[in-house]
Amino acid sequence: MKSAAGLLKRLARTFAIVVMVVAGSTILVRFAPGYLSDAREMDSRYGDATRIELSAEAARSASLKQMLSAEFVGWTHGDLGVSRQYDVPVAELIAPRLAVTGGLLLRSIAFAWTLALCAALVSSLGRNPSLLWQTPSTLLLAVPTAAMATVCMLSDRGGPVLVMTLLVAARDFKFLDRLLRKAWREPHLLQARAQGITTFRLVCAHILPGIASQLLALATLSIVTALSALVPVEVIFSVPGLGQLAWNAAMNRDLPVLLAVTMIMAVAVTFAGMPSDGAREWQGA
Amino acid sequence: MTVKTSSFRIAAMWLLTALVAIAIAVLSLPGKSYSSQDREQLLAGASAQHPAGTDGLGRDRMVRVAAAMLLSIAGAILASAATTLAAAGIGTISAFGPALLGRFAMLVCDVFLALPWLFLLMMVRSALPLTTSPAHSAVVTFLVLAALGWPACARAVYQGALELRNAEWMLHARAGGLRGTQIVRHVLPNLTPLLMPQFLICIPAFIIAEANLGALGLGIGEPLPSWGGMLLELDNSAMLLRTPWVYLPIGLLIFILLLLEAVAVEV
Repeated sequence: MKSAAGLLKRLARTFAIVVMVVAGSTILVRFAPGYLSDAREMDSRYGDATRIELSAEAARSASLKQMLSAEFVGWTHGDLGVSRQYDVPVAELIAPRLAVTGGLLLRSIAFAWTLALCAALVSSLGRNPSLLWQTPSTLLLAVPTAAMATVCMLSDRGGPVLVMTLLVAARDFKFLDRLLRKAWREPHLLQARAQGITTFRLVCAHILPGIASQLLALATLSIVTALSALVPVEVIFSVPGLGQLAWNAAMNRDLPVLLAVTMIMAVAVTFAGMPSDGAREWQGA
Repeated sequence: MTVKTSSFRIAAMWLLTALVAIAIAVLSLPGKSYSSQDREQLLAGASAQHPAGTDGLGRDRMVRVAAAMLLSIAGAILASAATTLAAAGIGTISAFGPALLGRFAMLVCDVFLALPWLFLLMMVRSALPLTTSPAHSAVVTFLVLAALGWPACARAVYQGALELRNAEWMLHARAGGLRGTQIVRHVLPNLTPLLMPQFLICIPAFIIAEANLGALGLGIGEPLPSWGGMLLELDNSAMLLRTPWVYLPIGLLIFILLLLEAVAVEV
């Protein structure tokens, strides 16, 4: 009963966050100084009358109340509004790209976690953080994603999955290494190691269950890191996913599409954070 | 902090200072401007006139790199200072104010943390007027970075301030009749160990965010030089074969980010 109430509370909080994200982003876009400007107004091929018409049309669609209601209606109807650039429902543009981006994210995060966890387990067994393990992750984090992707593409080695894997693994390794180092110093683990219990058994039976909530929180952070790298990676490697759609929308000032993609990302991050919140509460109890 | 880490950090700070001094010296050279073009020497290699060659428009690469470095470091420092100050204010007020205010502030933090930075940056950048000047685009880029960077820092400050609020000396101070402004005067110095790393961590994060945004064509507008704008040169494979100096911006950017990371570590 108590856990059901806790779950309901978390769901209500998540829903509130999503509603606030939708409302906040819509207000942000509406009050951005260039919202009412239309590229066509600067095109000399259009006559004065047409430009006045375009301005009037933009002004008509500028009411915040109208924008917010259109946004919520679009979400409830499932079409997510209409693209300014393509004049089709945004949902039609997003649907085929969700699978591409989802696949890319899943593969990258899975590879990154395997790589980071293995490296951190080996590295944390040493007495002090060694340069051998720390240097590659520090270096990888200092390279902008766009540059890493460009170098990979030009050298014809590696693809989008590799770039995202390296980036997420580098960030996760830093956290995991610190987390595992701290865990290995627990008195009961020192005692168990002294008694000759195998490292594999200690990791499976004591370390991983003990840091489960932190691992879940780190998983959420991995999603955020991967989403941040998504746009440059998809644009440079020409992957037809949500990141490329968002960039295309940003370049062509197609704000309904950009708003919808941002919302989807926010919803994904918020829901991804729910298990870690639950695990933290459970561990606290 | 070990002696080794400390000396490494000091060396990194000196190197950064030296790089900034060199950049200022390069920009102060007579007749050097980041936007002046030498139409006779497009995509030229290193020469006495242009020590690091020129870009596709005949602009001196060394001058542009120096200007981009100063612009990005100055912008990132100012944005980081703004974001740390905002986080300090919001975190402290939320912790010392009514509990409802604290919960609401953390909900707002969650809202910001749920939005991936790059998407929000792209959204705001693309909604700027079509006639935005390069200087304005630079200011807006760093302003937006500052506006989006505070929530994670504010969460940490909030937790730190809550601990201070419940500390014994604070209870004594409040029981002794210390006013709100007097309490804040004592709280802020105690939060410095929390705020200083946040400030230092935000600087490389903002520089890298600006570079990524610029590489997507949504950063600082031309002709103002920026790391992101210069990274776009890497897209041109013909240019890469012609002169190795194309790699100067990315090499220097990585070096600066590593130095900043060394300064930020274990403060």
